[in-house]
Amino acid sequence: MDMKRDYYEDVRLLDSGPQVFWLVLLLAALSVFPFWADSYQIYTLNLMAINVIVALGLNLLVGYTGQISLGHAGFFAIGAYSTLALMLNAHLPFVLALPLAGFISAAFGFLLGLPALRLEGPYLAIATLGFGLTITQILGRLDAFGGHMGLQAPPLDLFGLKVATDAGRYAVIMPICVVMTWGLRNLTKTRVGRAFVAVRDSDIAAECIGVNLTYYKTLAFAVSAFFTGIGGGLMAFILGFISPHTFNVMVSIMFLAMVVVGGLGSILGSIMGAVLITWLQLELARIGELPYLGPLLTELSQQVFTLSGLPNVQYVVFGLIMVLIIIVEPLGLYGFWIRTKIYWRTWPF
Amino acid sequence: MKKLLWLMVLVLSLALAGAAGAAGVQGVTDTSIKIGQWGPQTGPAALWGAVARGTGVYFELINSEGGINGRKIEYFMRDDGYNPNRTKAIAKELWEQEKIWGFACGVGTSPGMAVMPYIIKNNIPWVGMATGSPHWTQPLKKNIFGVYPLYPDEAQILTSYAIDTLGKKKIAFFYQNDDYGKGGLEGAVRELKKRGMTLAADVPVEVGETDLASHVLKMKKAGADCVIMWVYPKHAAIVLGTAAKLGYKPQWMACSTLSDVALMFKITKGLWNGMIFGNFAELPDSKSPLMVKYQAAQKKFAPKERWGVFFYAGFGFVEPMVEGIKRAGKDLSVGNFIKAMESLKDFQGIMGPITYGPERRQGIKKVFLAKCVPATMEVNGKKVTYGKGQRLSDWIGVE
Repeated sequence: MDMKRDYYEDVRLLDSGPQVFWLVLLLAALSVFPFWADSYQIYTLNLMAINVIVALGLNLLVGYTGQISLGHAGFFAIGAYSTLALMLNAHLPFVLALPLAGFISAAFGFLLGLPALRLEGPYLAIATLGFGLTITQILGRLDAFGGHMGLQAPPLDLFGLKVATDAGRYAVIMPICVVMTWGLRNLTKTRVGRAFVAVRDSDIAAECIGVNLTYYKTLAFAVSAFFTGIGGGLMAFILGFISPHTFNVMVSIMFLAMVVVGGLGSILGSIMGAVLITWLQLELARIGELPYLGPLLTELSQQVFTLSGLPNVQYVVFGLIMVLIIIVEPLGLYGFWIRTKIYWRTWPF
Repeated sequence: MKKLLWLMVLVLSLALAGAAGAAGVQGVTDTSIKIGQWGPQTGPAALWGAVARGTGVYFELINSEGGINGRKIEYFMRDDGYNPNRTKAIAKELWEQEKIWGFACGVGTSPGMAVMPYIIKNNIPWVGMATGSPHWTQPLKKNIFGVYPLYPDEAQILTSYAIDTLGKKKIAFFYQNDDYGKGGLEGAVRELKKRGMTLAADVPVEVGETDLASHVLKMKKAGADCVIMWVYPKHAAIVLGTAAKLGYKPQWMACSTLSDVALMFKITKGLWNGMIFGNFAELPDSKSPLMVKYQAAQKKFAPKERWGVFFYAGFGFVEPMVEGIKRAGKDLSVGNFIKAMESLKDFQGIMGPITYGPERRQGIKKVFLAKCVPATMEVNGKKVTYGKGQRLSDWIGVE
């Protein structure tokens, strides 16, 4: 196993030749994907890409900086609503509205980061949960934002080019996702990224070595909110319609689940977690159509649970998968990956 | 070039359709029709998920009678947990992967709004969404047919009944401060304006509020002798309890979303007694032949379900769809189906009379009123009091 010998090896974006090879292969696969997939599969991948962006942002906060948030649906909502409001009311083009919405979301992240300076663990979880709930309540009251009725997304317009198909949206979303992943990887390799990790490991020790806690804790919230806001802005377009219902507390919890199941403090983990959970959410809805097993589960559910039947099973299976992953591998999917890698490297010993 | 291509596709598909009858229509074969629906089986609105299950039982009943024109219905039901982005995924999945023919019902305004553009774009038949919001049918969309009476219309009917039949002079309106409640408010104000009257009090309530004493006091102070409610069951229960405590006894009236009278009687511990409410479908104990038949189907296919209004509403909302498919005959192309639907005039199922036309997509414009009265039944040798609806009027509409 090769060791890192100097600092510059540690801050390199890509570690090894094989990594570059697989990355290029992945990017190539992603870029030809819409040519052979059908619209539903492209939609699924769009959804995954958006969740990857959000999971990355949340992982920066939870996994890298050691703070927790149960209110990321709030930032998601702010991103979505700001993007649409800027386009509908201020008539800004999409390319301006989206980053601006990201920054608006980041500003709220900064504000929420302030109380976070004094709160930790469960206290912070409750504070952020409150934030997420409040945002949807407020959005429901504001008639300018469509109230409880919601907002219809305007056509996605890219330099005069109308984007109306799923493949078109894919062409917008996937590059953004790739660039943001690259950006986050870069960030974690810098001074700022190391400061985040120092804060996570011990904030007192971090302060002793000269890390400004106030600055980095709020910065982590702001950056995390920025990512989530961009994700929300993109979500508004693949849905075509947003309302406060879209951003309920379940959404926040799912984001957190993606990060934990994927692997805390890991970029690959965020991606794997987001992809797996998005896929499970869509796929488990069809569990009843499995041959033999489906009718059996439906029957079981109607006997043991309530009449609504299958959806309970769907959630039980969903929960079971998550629990199993965490029990078997506390590092999440990323842990599996590391173990596989080590196994192959040392094989046959 | 593109136009030419489209033309060729059109000519080809016409030729194919001519050769193979309905074979060219997605989701239809000679022996089956695929129909999909989403409905919240989990999450905050799970109570209304009964609609989607009711539709399933109705389709089973139809299949057991041999289907429609020899075609059996294949029904796809998906749980969206009242989350619009899951609804969107479900709609896409059903249309693009399962290749369904059309959508039935679908609970909830925001889930429905999220998929409406998609359904319009792909010209998918969609009948009987389970919400009274006017967005589905105004302005008119060719392939979307509403069944549920609109909230403003219903409020107008309740208001005029309060004035004309009950002789009430001072009417208060208690409503949820969103689209749903405001829809009702609009109708009540419209009716009063016609008679040169105004509301004695209009009292909004936010979804999260639990202490309603000040709301009740406001209505009491205004001297309202009749209160019309446009709220969710929880608030209806709280406001009745609070009013009873404060000794305020107006005539209460409620919207059709609160028409599950047995349930409301139970959760208000009997305070629902005397409530006058709007109904979009027959009462549960109705002896109309259709209701008797449907209840038998429920006993046969889903014996554990409660025979409540939202369950059998799942039958009612798709009755016109089934009738339309029947009338369209063997050729189930969307154009032909729309033409068949437009021929429905005063079609009567277990809901109000349904009429469609080239310029009309709102099926029901009528509700009937009922009053909650206590009744007793014997359960395990013990007498139990429950609430039941007593019909007060025939189907009433607004001009």
